[in-house]
Amino acid sequence: MNEIMNNQSSTAAVLRDNAQVAEVLGRSYSAGFVTQIEMTGLPPGLDEGTIRALSAVKREPEWMTEWRLEAYRHWLTMPKPDWAKLNIDPIDYQAISYYAAPKKQPKSLDEVDPALLETYEKLGVPLHERAALAGVAVDAVFDSVSVGTTFRKQLADAGVLFCSMSEAIREYPEIVQKYLGSVVPTGDNFFAALNSAVFSDGSFVFIPRGVRCPMELSTYFRINAQNTGQFERTLIVAEEGAHVSYLEGCTAPKRDENQLHAAVVELVALEGAQIKYSTVQNWYPGDENGVGGIYNFVTKRGDCRGDDSKICWTQVETGSAITWKYPSVVLRGDRSVGEFYSVALTHHFQQADTGTKMIHLGKDTKSKIVSKGISAGKSSNSYRGLVKMEKGAERARNYTQCDSLLIGKQCGAHTFPYMEVKNPTAIVEHEATTSKISDEQMFYCRSRGIGEEDAVSMIVDGFCKQVFRELPMEFAVEAKKLLEVSLEGAVG
Amino acid sequence: MNPSASTPLVASLLDAPPPASGIAWLDEARRENRAAFAAGGLPGARVEAWKYTALRGLAQRRFAAGDAAAATRDVDAAAFALPGVDGPRLVFVNGVFRADLSTAAALPDGLSLQPLSQALRDDAEPLRFALSRAALVGHVREGGDAFVQVNAASATDGVVLRVAAHARIAAPVQLVFVGAAADAELAWHARNLVELGEGASLELVEHHVGSGEQAQLVTLVGDFVLHEGAQLHHVVLQNAATTTNLIRRSGLRLHARAQMQLHVLELGGALVRHDLQAELVGDGAQLHTRGAFMPHGRQHVDTQLAIRHQALDTTSTSTWRGVASDRARGVFRGAIVVAPGADGSDANLNNKNLLLSPGAEIDTKPELEIYADEVQAAHGATVGQLDERSLFYLRSRGIPLAEARALLTAAFCRAVLDDLPSGALREHLSALLIAQLPA
Repeated sequence: MNEIMNNQSSTAAVLRDNAQVAEVLGRSYSAGFVTQIEMTGLPPGLDEGTIRALSAVKREPEWMTEWRLEAYRHWLTMPKPDWAKLNIDPIDYQAISYYAAPKKQPKSLDEVDPALLETYEKLGVPLHERAALAGVAVDAVFDSVSVGTTFRKQLADAGVLFCSMSEAIREYPEIVQKYLGSVVPTGDNFFAALNSAVFSDGSFVFIPRGVRCPMELSTYFRINAQNTGQFERTLIVAEEGAHVSYLEGCTAPKRDENQLHAAVVELVALEGAQIKYSTVQNWYPGDENGVGGIYNFVTKRGDCRGDDSKICWTQVETGSAITWKYPSVVLRGDRSVGEFYSVALTHHFQQADTGTKMIHLGKDTKSKIVSKGISAGKSSNSYRGLVKMEKGAERARNYTQCDSLLIGKQCGAHTFPYMEVKNPTAIVEHEATTSKISDEQMFYCRSRGIGEEDAVSMIVDGFCKQVFRELPMEFAVEAKKLLEVSLEGAVG
Repeated sequence: MNPSASTPLVASLLDAPPPASGIAWLDEARRENRAAFAAGGLPGARVEAWKYTALRGLAQRRFAAGDAAAATRDVDAAAFALPGVDGPRLVFVNGVFRADLSTAAALPDGLSLQPLSQALRDDAEPLRFALSRAALVGHVREGGDAFVQVNAASATDGVVLRVAAHARIAAPVQLVFVGAAADAELAWHARNLVELGEGASLELVEHHVGSGEQAQLVTLVGDFVLHEGAQLHHVVLQNAATTTNLIRRSGLRLHARAQMQLHVLELGGALVRHDLQAELVGDGAQLHTRGAFMPHGRQHVDTQLAIRHQALDTTSTSTWRGVASDRARGVFRGAIVVAPGADGSDANLNNKNLLLSPGAEIDTKPELEIYADEVQAAHGATVGQLDERSLFYLRSRGIPLAEARALLTAAFCRAVLDDLPSGALREHLSALLIAQLPA
């Protein structure tokens, strides 16, 4: 009898321990919950029929369907890229469902399913107009569709068009047709071609001539359904002299299988326009044994089409099992400016191969690249970049700095910069360093009574400061928190 | 089959039967390499290692195998005299050893120096291990090392150099490869094996010279093995004829506390490619590479450096300078790999380039691949012009613009020669370098 009692109390202790473990785990990826909501969608599989069905569900015009089919036919002929320093398990493209959406399609934000609102509330994304205080207009994308866009009226008053891609295709077909695929052509690369064929939704932003967008625009991507891939397509056009700052956030539930996210983002900046695109990527990274997580294969490219235009990419990459992403800028206009600021953190079995391309075509163009890579656990983190000075890039200038920080003995940090210079008046500079957190730095912090984890997070924070400075304030705070959480358990 | 396998170049290299040595294992190795080359052909532009060096032009040419008259060709010995380099010398003309031009009669104690052809005749067995494979050191990449296969299939001569343990060879050894004018466009090959015993030391000068209007294709594969505590100063002066296509591959293996200094000056050649693969396999090994390439006219000079740190407390430093003018192209890749467990590695690489003409191009790619955490690794690369302020400073002191430019460009390149131990050789090389600079 006594024995049984003992057993019971020890079971209770185990349960209590488990609860604590669960709590810690929960903290390490707080966005890992699943929303129970009635879904509708297409069955898994991919062929021309799937694409026609998808196009039909979205009530797209004929030209859009043809555009998709052309991309699909091209995709079939393309080999999967294998040059990145990544180990990718084969992806079964027939096992993915290419369209999943909440059953109830709301007409306005007031009709959005409360379960969905609650999801975004939990994620800290203010979807309701009452969140006016936050001062950020949000387009929320849930699996394959946009569930709502806030502040549309205020933005429309300023002349800014901000809506989901599906709506844009129906309501502003001439703008979409003019710019879609003009920066990232349908056959650009394997994943861009796939995206062009099956993209479901995304955000559309159009800032007309001379308009300064009155608030930050933001899209929040959420993958919820199982066995789906998210293929969003974002297009941002800033006309002459227009300014816009755009934020992107993303999360997904914890699942054991890998899910594919293959997005395409196109930015067009006409004369004197400025686009600032910030990303905090926090897709589910898989667990500490490398099980599950999102495959994040993204093509992002900006085109500084007009003179004196500027495009700035800032990214904080902490999530995803595998990241394959090279936000680029084509500096076509004279005196145009391209910037890329990146913090990429990998832990456990995460793999990241990320960087940028700066293609200088115009005179007096300038680009700056600051990349900070942090590897912990058994992860692998590569910077891969290209700076190209074409013949016409008179007096063009580039500065690149890539630093890597290693935390642990089993991780890898790599740097693969390519520099191609064809103009004798251009200047290209590249610097890279790799080191670990030095014992001196740690000792200094510890001797002042700072705990080991806090010390690491402080040093990492300092290491990344140059990039965080470029983020809008709310994002910078979020990014810092994310780094802390992602590094949990990395030392000791 | 690779589509490039059927180009005129490949066909011409496979035209003649492989040379027969009468040594069964060697003939077998040659046949195997020939078959591998026939199957793989030339690396295409999609092979990463050849991304910036297109072989399209070269692939359309045909070269005749070897030079039957090599033993009697007139060669001006003054062409390869170097100040301060007065030790033993081996001379090869169009790939064939020339005893009449060489001075290797009285060798210092501990130095063994022989042409490969001779060594194979005397006693081939000790060379079996090295020559049974395409290259002793470094890995042969599939498809990417076609020229190494060609070399292994076709080279009949070269250098076998050994320094006995603890022998310190004072006088520098000179290896001269002459591309002499011939009636046809020739292909010739050389295979070198250099081994320094424990605690041995040597100064070695590899010298490429050439003349003649006829194009040549030359492949040179060299293996350098430095045993514990050995020290090697290696200088490469590449002044081949402007019609020569010169493809070299050097494999270096450094054991514990071995030290190697390499100075490379790439002056001549039409298409020049140098693959250097170094492995620091012993604790405390050190490798210091310095080099300058100055392509002008339509020259294409490609240097591919790959340094692997595989042991504790290994050090590598690399300083490379490039100056490209006219319609020339300079290519540089400097890869540093720190293998898992190679704690205490210290790696530093920098490549600075000047781009002087609108038709010229520089492509540079420093790489770091780090798998250990107790590491200091850094690299830097720049492409640009002379500093305007420095030019202004010189001009404000009455130095004409052209002269000021020449002065600064020379200083830019000379940095790679600064730590060359031999003063006389340093002065000679820097004079050659200045003579090569664009006016």
